[in-house]
Amino acid sequence: MTVREDVRLVVHQQIAEILPSARISGELHLRELGADSVDRVEILLGVLDRLGLRAPLSDVRDVPNVDALVDVLAERVS
Amino acid sequence: MSAGIEALNVYCGLAQIPVRSLFEGRGLDLDRMGNLMMRNRSVGLPFEDPVTNAVNAAVPIVDRLDPAERDRVEILITSTESGLDYSKSVASYVHEYLGLPRSCRVVEVKQACYAATAAVQMAVAYVASGVSPGAKALVIATDVALVDERAQYAEPATGAGAAAVLVGEDPRVLDVDLGAFGNHSYETLDSARPSPSFDIADSDRSLFAYLDCLTNCFEDYRSRVEGADFATTFDYLAMHTPFAGMVKAAHRKLMREFTGTAPAEAEEDFTRRVLPSLAYPSAVGNLCSGSVYLALCSLIDHLGDAGGPQPDDRARVGLYSYGSGCSSEFFSGLVDRRSAEELAAMRIPDHLAGRCALTFEEYAGLLPANLRCLVPDQDRRIDVEAYEGILDRARIDRDLLVNTGTKDYHRTYEWLSYE
Repeated sequence: MTVREDVRLVVHQQIAEILPSARISGELHLRELGADSVDRVEILLGVLDRLGLRAPLSDVRDVPNVDALVDVLAERVS
Repeated sequence: MSAGIEALNVYCGLAQIPVRSLFEGRGLDLDRMGNLMMRNRSVGLPFEDPVTNAVNAAVPIVDRLDPAERDRVEILITSTESGLDYSKSVASYVHEYLGLPRSCRVVEVKQACYAATAAVQMAVAYVASGVSPGAKALVIATDVALVDERAQYAEPATGAGAAAVLVGEDPRVLDVDLGAFGNHSYETLDSARPSPSFDIADSDRSLFAYLDCLTNCFEDYRSRVEGADFATTFDYLAMHTPFAGMVKAAHRKLMREFTGTAPAEAEEDFTRRVLPSLAYPSAVGNLCSGSVYLALCSLIDHLGDAGGPQPDDRARVGLYSYGSGCSSEFFSGLVDRRSAEELAAMRIPDHLAGRCALTFEEYAGLLPANLRCLVPDQDRRIDVEAYEGILDRARIDRDLLVNTGTKDYHRTYEWLSYE
């Protein structure tokens, strides 16, 4: 698996944990998947934790959708 | 040298609306109430403004001072993001209606919801410095809400009112740990009030900044305080509360980062150390500049309720203040039996329970007038009697200051007698 595929798996697993009924699509923003602000915080913190990153939340604030989040995080991991 | 909070009180208005009624009235998704963790929001009435809120919060404190003590109030600072004029301070009116000495320094400060803590810390340092032995400083955080349906899910979480904090050498309410603090500030536009009649907010930018600042503040605190540990140094925590669910998320974040505790395992710690501080904020909404002090009141009135130390046990509280823009601080202090006794005299539970419960229709009818509260009209008359239907349903047990309008831009006030 590539780094991006690893990161994508972690992101999708974390979304599924916080939003069990969400149908995850990479083109949607977390908000569009049904995540309120607390859910979004929990998803992002969980992903950062699983990836062992200590990045500020503000660094991933402006990503437009799930795929873009994966891209940003994959770049940080590698 | 001891210095800290000698007396503390809040005023959270005469009316409130249940958050469920507001969700239903606006057609908001009821599933989102769970993470919000809010029960009611305080609602200002059109004759309440930053001055009346400040005075009504501080009168019970000032009335308990004897004349000699009142003469030692050497500094009055109002902290507000609800300013009334580019030049004239809210504090100038408050000074008059509280009858404070003319030898008092009078000033207003602004840094969104953080400014009151900056003022309290500067007041504590003034008292502790010994430059004027026996001096007191009164800091009053006071705000009004300018929200309506445009604020969406922030509307049910936005409160109104004031917190009055008397700082002196006999810290009966909070004995501040001198020199134990951590700060974090940087420029961002997460929320702001660009005009006297509306707010702007970017919720993710603001919540993420709040959380990033908390981590950085605690790291700065830890760099100053040898051995400080998030899990064991603080018996309780009281934080700025945009909404109660946010504080829960903040606690989980720090437990994860500084103790390695998984979110599911942080629940017991949250219930014991944090939940007592959220009873009042979840019944009032975000008190803006006074929010962390409303949380402190809640904590002190609920010491030991959820398994934490009882009032007879001296307990250390970690406090976190955040203001958009942004600036933030983590600091700490000690509470004990005297804190509980001092605050009990303010009868905050009676005050909150005595607010009139509004229907959604009554609430919606108040908003247009409330949104004009800060607009600098040259002449305006506010008919307090027009709101008798609401006043009659509120429990009022003392005289309250009300705003009757403006005359040549000068705000006019009267005392509303409860008898």
